[in-house]
Amino acid sequence: MVFPATSCQFAISSRLGIFCPLAYGESTTSNPFCSKIVGMDSTGSPKRPNLLNHLLLPLNVIEDQFGRGVVLVGQVIIIWFKAIACMLTGRIDWREAFRQCYLIGNQSFIIVSLTALFVGFAMSLQISRELVAFGGDTAIGGVVSLALVREMGPITAGVMLAGRVGSAIAAELTTMMITEQIDALKVMRVDPIEFLVVPRYIAGLLMMPVLSIYAMTVGLVASIWISMIAANLPPATFLDSVKQTILDRDFGVHFTKAIINATLVIMFSCAVGLNTRGGAEDVGLATTRAIVWVMTSIFIFNYVVTSLTYAPR
Amino acid sequence: MAIPVHTDQKMIEIDQVEKSFGSHRVLKGISFHVRAGERLGLIGPSGCGKSTLLKLITHLLEPDRGTVTVNSPEVGLVFQGSALLNSLTVRENLALALRRRKLSKKDEESIIQEKLSFVGLSDFLNAYPTQLSGGQQKRTSFARAIVNDPKIILYDEPTTGLDPVMSTIIEDYMIKLGEESNAAAIIVTHQYSTWTRTAERVLLMHDGGAVWEGTPEEALKTDNPFMRQFAHGYKEGPMLEGLI
Ligand SMILES: Nc1ncnc2c1ncn2[C@@H]1O[C@H](COP(=O)(O)OP(=O)(O)OP(=O)(O)O)[C@@H](O)[C@H]1O
Ligand SMILES: [Mg+2]
Repeated sequence: MVFPATSCQFAISSRLGIFCPLAYGESTTSNPFCSKIVGMDSTGSPKRPNLLNHLLLPLNVIEDQFGRGVVLVGQVIIIWFKAIACMLTGRIDWREAFRQCYLIGNQSFIIVSLTALFVGFAMSLQISRELVAFGGDTAIGGVVSLALVREMGPITAGVMLAGRVGSAIAAELTTMMITEQIDALKVMRVDPIEFLVVPRYIAGLLMMPVLSIYAMTVGLVASIWISMIAANLPPATFLDSVKQTILDRDFGVHFTKAIINATLVIMFSCAVGLNTRGGAEDVGLATTRAIVWVMTSIFIFNYVVTSLTYAPR
Repeated sequence: MAIPVHTDQKMIEIDQVEKSFGSHRVLKGISFHVRAGERLGLIGPSGCGKSTLLKLITHLLEPDRGTVTVNSPEVGLVFQGSALLNSLTVRENLALALRRRKLSKKDEESIIQEKLSFVGLSDFLNAYPTQLSGGQQKRTSFARAIVNDPKIILYDEPTTGLDPVMSTIIEDYMIKLGEESNAAAIIVTHQYSTWTRTAERVLLMHDGGAVWEGTPEEALKTDNPFMRQFAHGYKEGPMLEGLI
């Protein structure tokens, strides 16, 4: 895409928070520090850019964001391949991997419990209400468990892991990058992928299915309780319905989603961390960036897996 | 009888090296070399590219143009900010540098002990970097850099931010290590006492190139306007022209 130079200048400078007089096409001084005087009108507020610039501004922003996104996805793929290569050749620090397992479990256990509990409450309340109205009480268990096993279990655990573990990894690796700890590793000829990414990835792969199944179970227990209170449904009836509805395949899909979510959380947060340079304020920015990417991709991949496995034929 | 071997081998050779970050040209064709057993003091104003040069020598960065030749598989770098791994203890930090040699636990332990006692930190084996003072962190970083007995050691501001006594102690380590190991060293520093005491030869950088080279004694007497200004800290002179 080619845009007029002035609009690009304006877009870039405005995003950097720098007032760039050249973008307005009316620079009257050669001193770049005089932008305050040049770019202001008599009331002291910045003059508006011309209409064309204004219209093209969102496009510039989109182009810039899109470019950075493509770069990040490329970095994620490279890191993922390198991590897989390390794992296939047996370069795994199991002690560190188990330490990371402990950290992940410890960090996300309570938060996953809480969110799964309330997801279960809300869902079974809605579903019982509607099904009771149609006289379909006995189907409550089936519908709730379908939603939990196929969608809500993996998503809840994935999003919580992203918020709790992904952000911590992105912040930790960015800090290591900024304080030159990663450079120190390279000078010592220790591979940062092997030393930092692989143990976290293994821990993610081991813990994510556990947390997903746990989230699903907590949600199910919450649902049984709520449907008992709200719809007078005996737990036995609820569980009967669950048994009749849930197939083995559902657990396979559940597991697949958990593995994909673990990969997304760990790889995006590591890629963001290992590719950020700058100062302390960049730690916060990198963390936000990692979370946004992980969550968005979790929802997208969740849909892709669902559409590949459950689409009506 | 042990006679110190003073070979003439060039351990580090920098030839017409250029390096830019985006549109910012940091190094503009700098050349110099360091021989085995020699300690080169690299001085120059902040931001002139000294740390960048050390990163080129350790292959953390690649030059845009020119060549960097390093004649040792093992290079030790004492980072400007220590750069110890915060999640590991002092012992583990040193062990990490030894990891790829796959030594027995006993050998590893004795090397770690030896290097830590060289920098006087034997009592801090199990401390985490955050529990150490700045000077102790620098010394740990020093021990980590020499743990594999490198034939090239790079010091990035090893004495900055330390009290005068600790500075002298670290300077002594650098001199002692140079004499014992016959390693080539580059000492990047802003501290007058450090380069006058430890360096055998001094290179002054300015605007991406070398503007003066000589011994510390010559540095104090030279007529070179850059070196004169830098050695005496004059405000008037060719350095930082237009910035003050
Ligand atoms: N990774 C990087 N990306 C962009 N610019 C960089 C990067 N590393 C260094 N620079 C820039 O290169 C220039 C030289 O930096 P360098 O760290 O080598 O300076 P220095 O001589 O070591 O300074 P000081 O004495 O303050 O440590 C600086 O202007 C810095 O902003
Ligand atoms: Mg520096």
